[in-house]
Amino acid sequence: MYGRKACQLVKEFAGGEKGQLTPFNSDLFEQVVAECSQHHLELQSLIRKIQEEGLDVQTTRNADHHGALIHHLALVRNKRCLMAYVYNRAEVMQSLLWKIGQVLPQEIEEKLCHSEIEYFKKHSAALRSYMSKVQLDLTVDMVPPKDPYIQVRVLDDIGDGIVLKQFISRAYRLILFYMKNMAWPLILLKTLHLVILDILYKS
Amino acid sequence: MASSPVEGSSFPLDDYEALLSTTDVELLKRAWRNEKAAPEILRFETDLTDRIREQIQLMEETVEEKSAAGINPLSISLYQMDLDRAQFLLRSYLRIRIQKIEKYMFHIAKTDELWNRLSREEKSFTRRCTDDLKQHLEESVLSKLPENYQSFQRQSVISEQDDMVPEPQLDTFVVCRSKEYLTGIQLEDGPVDDRQLLSKLFEMEPGVLYFICYKSIKALVESGKIDLL
Repeated sequence: MYGRKACQLVKEFAGGEKGQLTPFNSDLFEQVVAECSQHHLELQSLIRKIQEEGLDVQTTRNADHHGALIHHLALVRNKRCLMAYVYNRAEVMQSLLWKIGQVLPQEIEEKLCHSEIEYFKKHSAALRSYMSKVQLDLTVDMVPPKDPYIQVRVLDDIGDGIVLKQFISRAYRLILFYMKNMAWPLILLKTLHLVILDILYKS
Repeated sequence: MASSPVEGSSFPLDDYEALLSTTDVELLKRAWRNEKAAPEILRFETDLTDRIREQIQLMEETVEEKSAAGINPLSISLYQMDLDRAQFLLRSYLRIRIQKIEKYMFHIAKTDELWNRLSREEKSFTRRCTDDLKQHLEESVLSKLPENYQSFQRQSVISEQDDMVPEPQLDTFVVCRSKEYLTGIQLEDGPVDDRQLLSKLFEMEPGVLYFICYKSIKALVESGKIDLL
């Protein structure tokens, strides 16, 4: 049936988990593209037939006209599906850029087609260039800051002073573990040694 | 966020609240909230963001100075908290706009009214984005289609207007509040009354929350009379 393959393609995307990519189905994709060419051939031959019969293509409303129309509509529908497939995948890639950063993990890159990998690189370059122009890294600070303190676990002795300042300036990126506001004066009094066990980035 | 004026409250408090609500951070918070809630991109607050940047720098210097001088850590942490919040607001404001641009880049690029709302940096970002995505679409789909079907904006040459460009939905509902008494708001697409074909006019009381179609208050949001929440 006309348009079934294209529909499958879109369903495959929509059926996947939201925000996740399925492997680029180039096999089905090419089949739909081939179907488009086939439609176009038949469309043209029908129009030629109308012309050969000496009728006006614009006004004729015979069986050939309606046949040609069906081919046109099927083609346009296929195009919409192909575009939706590629466009929506591009949108997922854009959102991945915010979530996982500029470098694609191997397992995601394997799911992309060549053009998509190129697009991801270019788009991330565009974003980087914007951020350097406004002199702000927009990929940090994704959640509103709640507390200027960080929770860390005490493991080892780190010098104070410099360390504290670094903590302050990075505080919004980290998750506190067990120290609350009380920790600050204690650290300054050196009754507590601060050591990072692991830095948890908020997803 | 200034609370709605209470009857009989003393004037100095009102003045104080009025003053509070006009600080740059409050203004940015307002712009940020509007941007967050509006389905389309709003005018970029060039002057405001410039001022905020200066203030952030000033705050950073203050924190540095104070911590170098070894002043009471509590007061430093309060400054730091303020600084963090301002920075978050600015970043989040720019981020929301960039994400909107990513979503509707073709629509923004071809609509002059929206295009003029962008900052200089956003414009060059949009230009790059549209070029990249267009190239990607052309390479993977359009170049493989028959000649009359290769536009990324139109389904085929027969289409009379651009019918393949994603646009923001302006008829979504938003929560909003007005600062003053507004009258004569026309609700579009309201139920057509058979007896009188007069469309209903809507009034807004100051400080009351309304849940309303964005399209009908669009102009008032743009002119700053209504705040989105």
